[in-house]
Amino acid sequence: MSIAAVSPTVTARQATSTPGRAVTRLAVRQVRRGGLIVVALTGGITALVAGTYAEVMADPAAAGGLQALAGNPAIRMLFGPPVGLDTAGGFTVWRVGTFLAVMLAAWSVLATTRITRGEEDSGRWDLLLAGRVPLRTVLIRHLAAVAAVPVAAGSAVTAVLLAFGTATSGSLVHGAGTALLGVFFVAVAALTAQIFPTRTPATGAAVTVIGVGLLARMVGDGVTELGWLHWLSPFGLLGLSGPYVQDRVVPLVLLLVAAAVTAVGALAAAGRREVRAGLVASRPARRPRLALLGSVEGFAVRRVLRPLAGWTIGIGGYYLLIGLTAVSVTGFLADNPALANEAAKAGFADMGSIAGVTATLFAILAMPAGGFVAVRMGAFVAAETDRRLMMSAAGPISRVRLIGAEIAATAGAVAVLVTAAGSATWAGVAVTGGDFSLVEALTGVWNVLPIVGLSLGAAVFVTGWAPRWVGVVGGLPTTGGFLLLVIAESIAAPGWVRDLSPFAHLAPVPLVDADGTASTVMLGIAAVLVVAGLAGYQRRDLRS
Amino acid sequence: MSQYALRAAGLTKRYGRLTALDDLTLDVPAGEVFGFLGPNGAGKSTTIRLLLGLARPTAGQAWIFGTEAADVVRAHRMLAYVPADVALWPQLTGAEILHLQAQTGPGTDLAYRDELVERFALDPSKPARTYSTGNRQKVALIAAFATRAPLLVLDEPTSGLDPLMEREFRAAVGQARDHGQTVFLSSHQLAEVEAVCDRVGILRTGRLVEVATIDRLRGLHRSEVTVVYRGAAPGLSAVPGVETVEATGESRLRFTLTGSPAPALRALAAADVTALTVREPSLEEIFLDFYGTGAVR
Repeated sequence: MSIAAVSPTVTARQATSTPGRAVTRLAVRQVRRGGLIVVALTGGITALVAGTYAEVMADPAAAGGLQALAGNPAIRMLFGPPVGLDTAGGFTVWRVGTFLAVMLAAWSVLATTRITRGEEDSGRWDLLLAGRVPLRTVLIRHLAAVAAVPVAAGSAVTAVLLAFGTATSGSLVHGAGTALLGVFFVAVAALTAQIFPTRTPATGAAVTVIGVGLLARMVGDGVTELGWLHWLSPFGLLGLSGPYVQDRVVPLVLLLVAAAVTAVGALAAAGRREVRAGLVASRPARRPRLALLGSVEGFAVRRVLRPLAGWTIGIGGYYLLIGLTAVSVTGFLADNPALANEAAKAGFADMGSIAGVTATLFAILAMPAGGFVAVRMGAFVAAETDRRLMMSAAGPISRVRLIGAEIAATAGAVAVLVTAAGSATWAGVAVTGGDFSLVEALTGVWNVLPIVGLSLGAAVFVTGWAPRWVGVVGGLPTTGGFLLLVIAESIAAPGWVRDLSPFAHLAPVPLVDADGTASTVMLGIAAVLVVAGLAGYQRRDLRS
Repeated sequence: MSQYALRAAGLTKRYGRLTALDDLTLDVPAGEVFGFLGPNGAGKSTTIRLLLGLARPTAGQAWIFGTEAADVVRAHRMLAYVPADVALWPQLTGAEILHLQAQTGPGTDLAYRDELVERFALDPSKPARTYSTGNRQKVALIAAFATRAPLLVLDEPTSGLDPLMEREFRAAVGQARDHGQTVFLSSHQLAEVEAVCDRVGILRTGRLVEVATIDRLRGLHRSEVTVVYRGAAPGLSAVPGVETVEATGESRLRFTLTGSPAPALRALAAADVTALTVREPSLEEIFLDFYGTGAVR
C-alpha cells in the first residue's frame, strides 16, 4: 500500500513520518491516567506497610501472635503463605503482596481488553488499521504500552522496599514478580481479546483466569498435598519465589516464559483472524428475546442481569471460601486463647468467633459492592456518551425516569450481590459444621449497604454534574474510604481524618448490633447525593 | 393543538466562547415537510438537540406543538427522531430494538412497522453490532416512521442508504405527508431535499440566513438565461440583475439573472430575439451560492 510510485515527494515525507510511534502514543494516552494511579497505589501501599513494620514488631507479644496465627492453614489460605515475617520486607510481602498482585492483574486485564478489543469493537480501529500499520504491529505497540504499567509498578515496589532498607535480593525478587504477574495478565487478556469478538467475554475469560489462578494458590496454600498447584498458578509462582526467604528466580523465569508464550499465542491468533472478528465467531442471527424490553425500567434490569451474574459468581465464590475456612480459623484460636489475645493486638481483632471473623470480612465486601455500583453507573454514562441512549432520550421519557431506572436496577442488583455473598458465607460455615445462622450472615452483609449506598450516591451525583469522573468518584466512598482508614491508622493521623472514612463508623456486624445512627446518617447523605445528582442530570446537556 | 408543529424563538446555544446557534427564530406549520440545510458545523444538529430537549438552550425557547421542548414527557409523545449517527445497543437484535422502541416510544403502528421492515429490506434477526451504518439507519427510520407521530425529526437520515433505500425513504416521507405528519429534515442531500421538501431553511455558522419555499429560493437566486438573436446584440450592460454576460457562439448570449426579470426583458425587447431559454438554478447551485464563495451576505 505505497504511494511511492505515484509521487516521489510523498515518499520523502513518508521517510520522516513514524506511524508506529504515533500508534504507541495513542495507546499510551489511553492508559496513562489509570496507569499512574495504579503505580502510585502500588508504591504507596507498599511504603505504608513497610513503614508500619517496626511499630508492629516493637511489641514481641504481638509479633509472636502474628507468627503463630500465620501458621494456621486457613489464614494461609486467605492471606497467602507467611514467609519471612521477621523482616520488614517479608512482612510487607505477606500483608499486601497478594492484594497488590490481584489489583495489578485486574487493572492489566481491564486496560488491555479496553484499549484493544474495546477499541476494535467500537469501530475506531477500522480507521487505524486502514493506515500503514498492520494489526499485529498495532497490537504489539498497545500491549507494550499496557505492560509498561506493571513493569513500572514492580519497579516502584523494588525502589520503595530498597528505600526502607530491606534486602536487595528480596526487593528485586518481589518487584520483578509483581511486574511479571501484571505482564502475564496483559498477555492473557491480549489472547482472550483475539479469541472473542467482543470486549465483555474477552474480559470475562481473562478475569476467570485470575480467579482460577488465585483459587489454585489458595488451595495449594491450604492443602499441603496439593502444594504442586502453585506451579500452575501465576499467584502460586509469585509465592514460590519466596521474596526475602528463598529468593528463588526459577518461578519468575517460568512466569516470564508463560507470559511470553501467551503473548506469542495472542499475536499468532491476531494474524489468523479478521478485524472486528475473533477466533470464536459471534452468532449471526437469533430469534428475538423480548423479555424485559417493555419499559426503560425493565431494560435497565435486563442490562444488569449478566454483569450481576458474573460479579455474584466471583464474590460469592470468595465468600464461600471464607465460610468454609471460618470454622478452622476460629477453632484454632479458641484452642489458643493466649494466641487469640495476641492476634487481637496484631490487628486481627475478635478472630475467636465466626461472628468476629465474618464481621471483619463482611466490612471489606463494601469495596467490591461499591466497585460494582461505580461500574454500572459508568456503563450508563458510557451509553450516553456513545449515543446508545439517544433513542430512549428522544422518547417520551423524562431524564429522571431514565436515570432513575438505572439507579433502581443498580441498587437492586447490589442488594442481590451482597445477599448472595452472605448466603455463600453461611452455606460454607454450615457445610463445615460451624455455629452461624443465616440471619447473622445476612444482617452482617446488609450492614455494609449504607456504605455501598454512599458509593451509589456519589456515582449518581457525578453522573449529574461531572460525568467523566463517574468511575473514580463512584468508588471513592468505598475503596477510597477503606484506604483512608488503613492509611490513617498506619500513620496515626488525627481522629477526624480517620472519621472521614465511612468504615470508621461501620459496626462489626454480626459480632455486635448494627449502628443505627451511623447507618441512617450514611443513607441520608446518600439520598442527598442522589437528589443533587438527579437535579444536575435534569439540567445538563446530554453528552453525545 | 398548536397550528405550528415546531417553533423556536431566539434559540441560542453557546459552548463557552463558541456560539453554535445564534438567535434562531423559526416556525414550521403542522403538515409541512421542512428541509434544514447547512454545511458541516453550521449548527443543524445543535438545533435538533435543543428542539428535542437533549441540550438546554443558553437563551430562547422552543415548542413542539405548543409544548415546551424541555417538557420531554409531553413533547416527545408527538414526535419521533432519527439521529444523524445511529448508535444501537450492540447486543440487541434489530427486532428487539424495534420492540423496545415501540414499547417505550410514543406508540407504534405495528402493521406499518412490519411493512417498513419489508420495504427497507432489513434483517431484524441480527444483533445490532453486525449492522452496517445503513442498516443501523434503517432500524432508526423504521422505528420513527412506524410511530406515525405528528412530527418526524430526521437528522441526515439517508447518509448511509443506497439509492434504492433512499427511494423508499422518499416514499415514506411522502406517505407521512399524506398522513398530515410534519417532517423536519436536516440533510446534505440537496436532490432529496428538493424532491420532498415544501420549504427550506438555510443555516450558516449558527445563523439562519434564509427560510423560503424552494420555488421562491429559485426566484431569489441566479437563473441562467440563454438568448439567440438576429442582427445586433441586445444591450445588457448596466441592466439591473444581469451579470456575467458572455457570448457562447455566433448570435448567442448567456447571462445570469438575479431578482425581477422585467429590466432584462425590456432590454431584450429592443433586440430581435429568436429564442430564449431560462434555466432555474438547482438547489445545489443555490446552496453553493450561499457557501461556495462566502461572498453572499
